[in-house]
Amino acid sequence: MIGGLFIYNHKGEVLISRVYRDDIGRNAVDAFRVNVIHARQQVRSPVTNIARTSFFHVKRSNIWLAAVTKQNVNAAMVFEFLYKMCDVMAAYFGKISEENIKNNFVLIYELLDEILDFGYPQNSETGALKTFITQQGIKSQHQTKEEQSQITSQVTGQIGWRREGIKYRRNELFLDVLESVNLLMSPQGQVLSAHVSGRVVMKSYLSGMPECKFGMNDKIVIEKQGKGAADETGKSGKQSIAIDDCTFHQCVRLSKFDSERSISFIPPDGEFELMRYRTTKDIILPFRVIPLVREVGRTKLEVKVVIKSNFKPSLLAQKIEVRIPTPLNTSGVQVICMKGKAKYKASENAIVWKIKRMAGMKESQISAEIELLPTNDKKKWARPPISMNFEVPFAPSGLKVRYLKVFEPKLNYSDHDVIKWVRYIGRSGIYETRC
Amino acid sequence: MPYLGSEDVVKELKKAMCNPHIQADRLRYRNVIQRVIRHMTQGLDMSSVFMEMVKASATVDIVQKKLVYLYMCTYAPLKPDLALLAINTLCKDCSDPNPMVRGLALRSMCSLRMPGVQEYIQQPILNGLRDKASYVRRVAVLGCAKMHNLQGDSEVGKWGPWVNELYSLLDQDPICGNCLKGRLEELKQEGGPILPFVFPLSYRISKLDQWGQGEVLNFLLRYQPRSEEELFDILNLLDSFLKSSSPGVVMGATKLFLILAKNFPHVQKDVLVRVKGPLLAACSSESRELCFAALCHVRQILHSLPGHFSSHYKKFFCSYSEPHYIKLQKVEVLCELVNDENVQQVLEELRGYCTDVSADFAQAAIFAIGGIARTYTDQCVQILTELLGLRQEHITTAVVQTFRDLVWLCPQCTEAVCQALPGCEENIQDSEGKQALIWLLGVHGERIPNAPYVLEDFVENVKSETFSAVKMELLTALLRLFLSRPAECQDMLGRLLYYCIEEEKDMAVRDRGLFYYRLLLAGIDEVKQILGSPKSDPSLGLLEDQAERPVNSWASDFNTLVPVYGKARWATISKLQRTERHGPELPNPASFATSGPLIPEENKERIQELPDSGALTLVPNHQITAECFEKTWLSLKVAHQQVLPWQGAVHPDTLQMALQVVNIQTIAMSRPGAQPWKAYLSAQDDSGCLFLTELLLDREHVEMQVSVKQNEARTETLSSFISVLETVIGTIGDIK
Repeated sequence: MIGGLFIYNHKGEVLISRVYRDDIGRNAVDAFRVNVIHARQQVRSPVTNIARTSFFHVKRSNIWLAAVTKQNVNAAMVFEFLYKMCDVMAAYFGKISEENIKNNFVLIYELLDEILDFGYPQNSETGALKTFITQQGIKSQHQTKEEQSQITSQVTGQIGWRREGIKYRRNELFLDVLESVNLLMSPQGQVLSAHVSGRVVMKSYLSGMPECKFGMNDKIVIEKQGKGAADETGKSGKQSIAIDDCTFHQCVRLSKFDSERSISFIPPDGEFELMRYRTTKDIILPFRVIPLVREVGRTKLEVKVVIKSNFKPSLLAQKIEVRIPTPLNTSGVQVICMKGKAKYKASENAIVWKIKRMAGMKESQISAEIELLPTNDKKKWARPPISMNFEVPFAPSGLKVRYLKVFEPKLNYSDHDVIKWVRYIGRSGIYETRC
Repeated sequence: MPYLGSEDVVKELKKAMCNPHIQADRLRYRNVIQRVIRHMTQGLDMSSVFMEMVKASATVDIVQKKLVYLYMCTYAPLKPDLALLAINTLCKDCSDPNPMVRGLALRSMCSLRMPGVQEYIQQPILNGLRDKASYVRRVAVLGCAKMHNLQGDSEVGKWGPWVNELYSLLDQDPICGNCLKGRLEELKQEGGPILPFVFPLSYRISKLDQWGQGEVLNFLLRYQPRSEEELFDILNLLDSFLKSSSPGVVMGATKLFLILAKNFPHVQKDVLVRVKGPLLAACSSESRELCFAALCHVRQILHSLPGHFSSHYKKFFCSYSEPHYIKLQKVEVLCELVNDENVQQVLEELRGYCTDVSADFAQAAIFAIGGIARTYTDQCVQILTELLGLRQEHITTAVVQTFRDLVWLCPQCTEAVCQALPGCEENIQDSEGKQALIWLLGVHGERIPNAPYVLEDFVENVKSETFSAVKMELLTALLRLFLSRPAECQDMLGRLLYYCIEEEKDMAVRDRGLFYYRLLLAGIDEVKQILGSPKSDPSLGLLEDQAERPVNSWASDFNTLVPVYGKARWATISKLQRTERHGPELPNPASFATSGPLIPEENKERIQELPDSGALTLVPNHQITAECFEKTWLSLKVAHQQVLPWQGAVHPDTLQMALQVVNIQTIAMSRPGAQPWKAYLSAQDDSGCLFLTELLLDREHVEMQVSVKQNEARTETLSSFISVLETVIGTIGDIK
C-alpha cells in the first residue's frame, strides 16, 4: 500500500512529508526531486520507478504530490486517492498553492493522519472530516461529551455521509448540471470524436434524513414509461438522451438503479457530486469553427476563421475565446474582427480572440494576415489545431432534470416546501478544430 | 532549506522548549513545536530534542499532541530508549475519556517503529478492539496489522485469539469491516485463516467506501471457491461493482472476476465486454494520470482480444493538448486495434501525428505505422514514402528504420521501398538512421541504381564519421554490394579496407576490416557463401505477432503495476526487490542465488526443514582448510559407515550446492567420471563438534559408501547428521 506521501513545490523543496511504512526512507524524498522535478525533459510517465520504488505523481498548478510505495499496488486506486486528497485540501483551504500549503501545514498533517493509516486510505469524506478537523484546530475542546461520541459514531457510522439531527429553517436545494463538451473536428468539418462528460452537483440544505428521488430524461426510463402512452413516445423520444455510462455518489442505492433505473438516495449535508456521466450520441455542439488558411508565398499566411453558434437564439454564450495558433517565425499580424477583441500574443504564438457574449444562431468572423520571417528551416509548420473556450447556459448532452422529489417521513415538511434551484452550465473541455 | 547552521537552529529550539515562560503560554509553545515539525519535514535531523518533545506530549491541546506524536513516530527508530519514556504517556492517553484522544494515542503507539514495542501495545490493542467508540475500534484493527508487520513470525501473537476477536467485531459492528481489510491484507503473507471472513465481507462490501471496496475485492482474490455454485454466488453478489463510480473499484472487480472465472472463458469475455464502458470513460477522463493507467490496461486487454475496442477507435485519437505519455499510449493502442474497417481512418490519423512538433511523438507515430504495415503493407508503405517527401531529419531517419524492419519481415514490399530510398541520404544525420540506410543499400543494392554512389559518399567521409557502428555497417554493406555489383564497388572497397586497417583507431572496426580482408583473400566463393545470407525472414513476423494470448496469462497481473511498467521491466524491478529483501538475512546471497534454481522447489523445502528437525544445527560459515582437514581425518577413527543406493553419474556441482544449502562444506572432490569417485566433506554443529565425511562411489555407480568421523563422540547428533546427509544424497540421486 502507500508507503509515504510527499508534497513539493516547483523548486523541489519538501513542503509535507509523511511516511507510513518503514520501507520508505528519507532518501526517497530526494530521489524524486532529482529524477522527476529537476529532470529537464517533460514528464515521461505519471508513475516513475526509481531504485525499485514507485512514485505516483500528480501536479496541481506548481505543486507536486507524490505517493510512494515499494509494493505492487493498483495504479488507478492510488491516483484516485491523490485526487481525493486534492479535493479534501481544496475543500479546506481553496486553491492548492505553495502559500496555502505552507500556511496550513499543521492542518495537512492532521488530515494525513486521518485519511491514511498505515498506508490504507480511510475516511476521506470532506463532510465527515470537517466535523472534527477544523481550520483553527480541533473543535472537540469546546464540545460536550455527547457531541464527541456523535462525531466518532458518524466517522464510522452506518450512513457515513450524513449525521442525524440536522435542522434548517428553510429547506433548500441546488442542482447544478455541469458539463464539459469535448470535440475533435477535422478541417473539413467532420466530427472525429466528441463526447460530453458531465456531473450533477447537488447542494442540499435539508432537515432530518430526507429521502430524495432524482429523475432525468434518460432514454431507457422514458422508453419504459412511453410504453403506457404510445403516442407520446414519438415526442419524448427525441428529447431523451442515451447515457453511455454513469456512476453515482455512494449514497445512491445502486440496486434500485439497476432494477428500475430510478435514482434514490439520502443526500449528504452540503455540497456533493451526485452523479457523473458520459454521453457520445446526439451531442449539441454549441459552436462550429470553420478555418481557412492560405499560404501566400513563403512569407505570408492568410487566416480566416468563422465561428457559428448553434443553439436557441434566446440563449447567450459567455466567455468565448478562440485561440488561433501562428507559426514560430511570425513577424507581424494584422487582425480584423467584426465582434469582440482579438490580439496577437507573441509569447503564446497565437492570436487570441475574445468575445464576451454571443447569442445563438449567429455567426462571427475574424480574418488575419500573418507575415512571416523568411527562414531556411525546412521544417514545415505543423499547424496546431484551433482551440476554443466558452460557457453556455444549457447542457450540450441534452440532459434535462425532470424532477427531484424530497420525502421526509419523520419531520413535517413536504416536497412542496422545499425550494429547489436547477442550473445548467456547459463548458468547453478540449474543443479543437484542425486546420 | 537551512541545511547550513542547522545546529544553531536545533539549539535555539531546544532552548525555547525548555523555557518555562514559553511552556506556560500555550500558543507560543505550540508554535515552537510547529517549527520543529517544519524543520523535520525539510529533512533536518531534529532527533536531539526528543526529550523535550516527550515532555510536550503531556498536554490537553490535541493539536499539539498530534504534532508531538507525529514527531515521535518519525524519530522513535533513532532514539528507542527515549521513546520508551513516551510510552507511559501514550498508555495513559489510551484510556482518556475522549475517543479522539484514545484513537490518536493508540494509532501513534502502534506506529512507533522500534524493537520491543510489541509487548507494550498488545494490551492496548485488545482493549481498543473492545472499545465502545467505533473510531477507536477501527484504529485498533489497523493496529493489529501494524503489530503483525512488526513482529514478523515471532511467537508472541499467534493468530487464534486475534481472529476470534476480529470475527466477533465483524458481527457486531459492520462498519469496522471497513478497515478489517488492512489487517487481512497483512494476514495474506502469513497464509492465515481467511475463510471465516469471506462471506461476511462479501455481503457487507456495498456499505464500505471505495477504498474499503477496493481492499475487500483484493482480499477475495485469495479465496478459492469450493464449488461452481459458490463461485457464481460470489460473482452475482459482486456484479454491481463492475459499474462502480470509482475506476479503481471497477478494475479491482474486473480482476477478481477474471481470476475467479479462470475456467470459464465465456464468463471472462462477458466481463471484459461489460467493463468496456467504464474503461473507456476512464480513458477519456480529464484526470490524466488515471487516463494513463486505464490506457495501459486497455493495451493489456487488447493482447488477448484484439478486436475488443476496434469500434471505439476514435476514442483513442490524440488531442493536441494531451501530455506526452498519454499520446504515446494512445498511439500504441491504435496500432493494436486496427482492423479492415478502420484501417483507413486510423492510418489517416497517424499520418497527422507524424508531423507533430514533438520529434519523439512523430517518430512514435511512424514506428506505429510500421507496426501496422506488417498486415496492411501497401497502404502503409505509401504513407511512409510520402513522409520522406517532407525532407525532415527526424522523420526520414524513423521512416528508413521502419523500412529496414519491414523489408526483413515482409519481402513483398521490397520493390516499393527500393524505389523510395534514393535521396534519403541527404536528410539522415543520426547513427540509427545511417545504419538502417546503409544496411538497406547493402542488402538490396542490386535493385537501387545509385546505391554504389550513395555508399561512395559515405566512404569518402568515413574519416569524419563519429559512430563506429556506422563504420561496421558500412564495411558489411559495401562487401555485400561488391558481390552483386563488383565493377562499381571494387575501387572504393579497397579504399575503405585500407582506411579501416591502416588508420582506424577503433579496434572493433579494425578487426572487422581485417577479417573481411582475409576473407577476400580466401576467394570470392567463400565470401559469397558467408555473406550471402537470406534477405528476409517472413516467419519472424509471425513470431513477433504473438498469437492472441489467453486471458489467464495476464489476469493475475491486471490492476497491478505490471501493465503500467510493462512485463519485462516489472520483472527486473521485482527481481531486484526480492534479492534486496532476502539479502541481509542470508549469509551468502550470491551462492544462494545460483544454487536456488538448480534444486527443484519441493526438494529444497525438504532439505531446509531438515536441520531443524533433529537436535542438530550446523554452523553456516564453517571454514576448514584442506591441510587441517587431512590432519584431523587421519587422527580420527571412523564413527559410522553406511552404504547408500545411487544411480547414474555424479554431477559434482549439484551435489556441492545441495550440501551447501544444509551447511555442509565440500573440501575436495574428484572430477566427474573419475574411477573411483571420491569426495570429502566437513561440517560443524553449534556445540563445536566436527563431522568429517568421505563419500566413495563404486565402479558400477550403484552404491555410495559414506564414512563419517567425529571429533567428539556423540551418538544422537551423529545419527541426525547422517540422516541429513542421507536425505541430500537421496534427493540428488532422485533427480538424476
